[in-house]
Amino acid sequence: MFKNEEMEINLGPQHPSTHGVLRVKLRLDGETITHCRPMIGYLHRGVEKICENQSFFQGQVWTDRMDYCSAVANNLGWVEANEKLFGITVPRRAQYIRTMLNEFNRLASHLIWLATHALDIGAMTVFLYAFREREDILDLNEAFCGSRLTTTAFRIGGLREDLPPGFEKMVHKFLAKFPTCLEEYENLLSENRIWKKRTVGVAKLNAEDAIAMGVTGPVLRAAGVAYDIRKAFPYAAYAEMDFEVPTRTEADTYARYLVRMAEMRQSARIIQQCMDGMPEGPVMAKLPKILRSEVNEVYHATESPKGEIGYYLVGEKGSLNPYRFHVRAPGFINLQSLPKMAEGGLIADIVAAIGTLDIVLGEIDR
Amino acid sequence: MTDPNVPQTPETPEAPAGSYVYDYKAAPNRQIVMPKTVPLPSYRTYLAEQKAAAEADEAKWQKSLADYETAKAKAEAEGKDAPKPPVRPVPRKDDNDLKTPWPQEATDVDLLHLQACLGDKVEEIFEQAGELVCQVAKEAVLEALLLCRDDGKLGYEMLADQTATHYPAASDFAFSVVYHLTSISRRKRLRLRILVPEGFTPESACVVYPGANWMEREIYDMLGIRFANHPDMTRILCPEDWEGYPLRKDYPTVGWGQRDISFREDRGGMLDRIALEKAGQLGINLKQPKAD
Repeated sequence: MFKNEEMEINLGPQHPSTHGVLRVKLRLDGETITHCRPMIGYLHRGVEKICENQSFFQGQVWTDRMDYCSAVANNLGWVEANEKLFGITVPRRAQYIRTMLNEFNRLASHLIWLATHALDIGAMTVFLYAFREREDILDLNEAFCGSRLTTTAFRIGGLREDLPPGFEKMVHKFLAKFPTCLEEYENLLSENRIWKKRTVGVAKLNAEDAIAMGVTGPVLRAAGVAYDIRKAFPYAAYAEMDFEVPTRTEADTYARYLVRMAEMRQSARIIQQCMDGMPEGPVMAKLPKILRSEVNEVYHATESPKGEIGYYLVGEKGSLNPYRFHVRAPGFINLQSLPKMAEGGLIADIVAAIGTLDIVLGEIDR
Repeated sequence: MTDPNVPQTPETPEAPAGSYVYDYKAAPNRQIVMPKTVPLPSYRTYLAEQKAAAEADEAKWQKSLADYETAKAKAEAEGKDAPKPPVRPVPRKDDNDLKTPWPQEATDVDLLHLQACLGDKVEEIFEQAGELVCQVAKEAVLEALLLCRDDGKLGYEMLADQTATHYPAASDFAFSVVYHLTSISRRKRLRLRILVPEGFTPESACVVYPGANWMEREIYDMLGIRFANHPDMTRILCPEDWEGYPLRKDYPTVGWGQRDISFREDRGGMLDRIALEKAGQLGINLKQPKAD
């Protein structure tokens, strides 16, 4: 006789496919997931509390350490939220350089997503290919600000330094070879039978559910909703850029893969436009030595590679540090939809579901 | 300098003067500085402050004028030179790219529509830094959220963010809870705000926006606001047995039982010792030469 009862298992916290320390409590009926409950908080460092006790300038280094794969995008959100709080106008050249570095960061983040997601599912080769190009982007980071991962690339009011000599050449060299690299990845995956078997129709999340759960980023766009903050609420120099928002309607893991690949092409386009139309002029706004806030609260959202990253800041009159600092981490909100994606599917597919959400636990737990 | 060739008896480490556990009453880091003001942005408060500041400025000017008159009369009586007439100070103009965004009167159609629909339940509407703010009564939050989502003129489909702030210096409330709503179709954002006192349980937004589930759990975890009718009101980031609510202003920034060792000092002392020893072996006198 076979026993017919449900089994409860833990995926993580120390599991290689959880991209950090995520624990997922699963209840299984055979190989089918009947109940899924993500448990987070293993990387909680209290970033919000720390930043409330540090000055507006010091808080920025903590944004690097939230989502360490897209530090530049986090920096951009932080400095722009502060600029909104103080009412600072940033010079146009600084906006262009910010936009360009942000798009490079999107490429780096999507490449690391592609590498690890494919590795989770079983395609080892793509990992090595994607990391090769990511290395070049980190070299660009290093040339610009001396740091590869935790960049702290920008300053409130602009940039610390202009582009270093020879930067343009590096960018052109990268842009010349990147399209062929993208084709290489697509040759490996797009029509790969195993890849399609593991991704097509897996971890579906339709547009209605995604909007109700607050899911943003490529996951929402793969469900057919063309919501991209770069287009909807333009910031930095995105209003002057010509690019498309790629969408798909299948709302499965394969569609998200296609959306992210198409996004990389658009990013390369934006970088090219930034280089072509780079204005001359200063890179730092004129600011007083010490910034003291007035009573004000702002919520500024930008499109990070993972989705909408929002910074909520409350300023106190004459204060040097934010009274309240809160991050709307895209991974935190997106991970909420994991039960919806995984329940009813096979246990092997939860790895694909976690990978396709593109989560980084550093920002989820903060 | 000790001779390195002579074997030395290892010194017994000194026993610590007190317990290793941080004496948080005596420690400066443990002293909590409670905020004295209530930085809650509001157009009404801003107007009142501006009015008070203008009145104070005017009173100061009148007083300096009166002082001048008496001084002049006194100088005339004593036959001295008349004092200089006072000059009204002009506000200093800073030459920088900073333009503080002050609260402004609400002119946006969404805010006016909300006020028309909810009537008395809207406590305040204003705009600041290009953001729309609508403060509603704490009991009417669910009604306001439903209206925002379902009304054809508003259509805020997504709850982008929900968070709260602790205001210990306020008298009639303790927290503000803010809901950042996004309308994807109309490309607009709106901030709904409620003010809740300690112990009040606002209605959970999960019925209207299922995505509020984890955000409300986080608020409960970090600030201790419980939400009524929430499907799963448990801690999310901290362990279940955690004491206190970390993002309250009365929560200290140094942890419980932190060790009372200054690692920096200890390392500095050790490095000094090693440097002196090495220098002695090489025959270099690192010590300060004695003043004759």
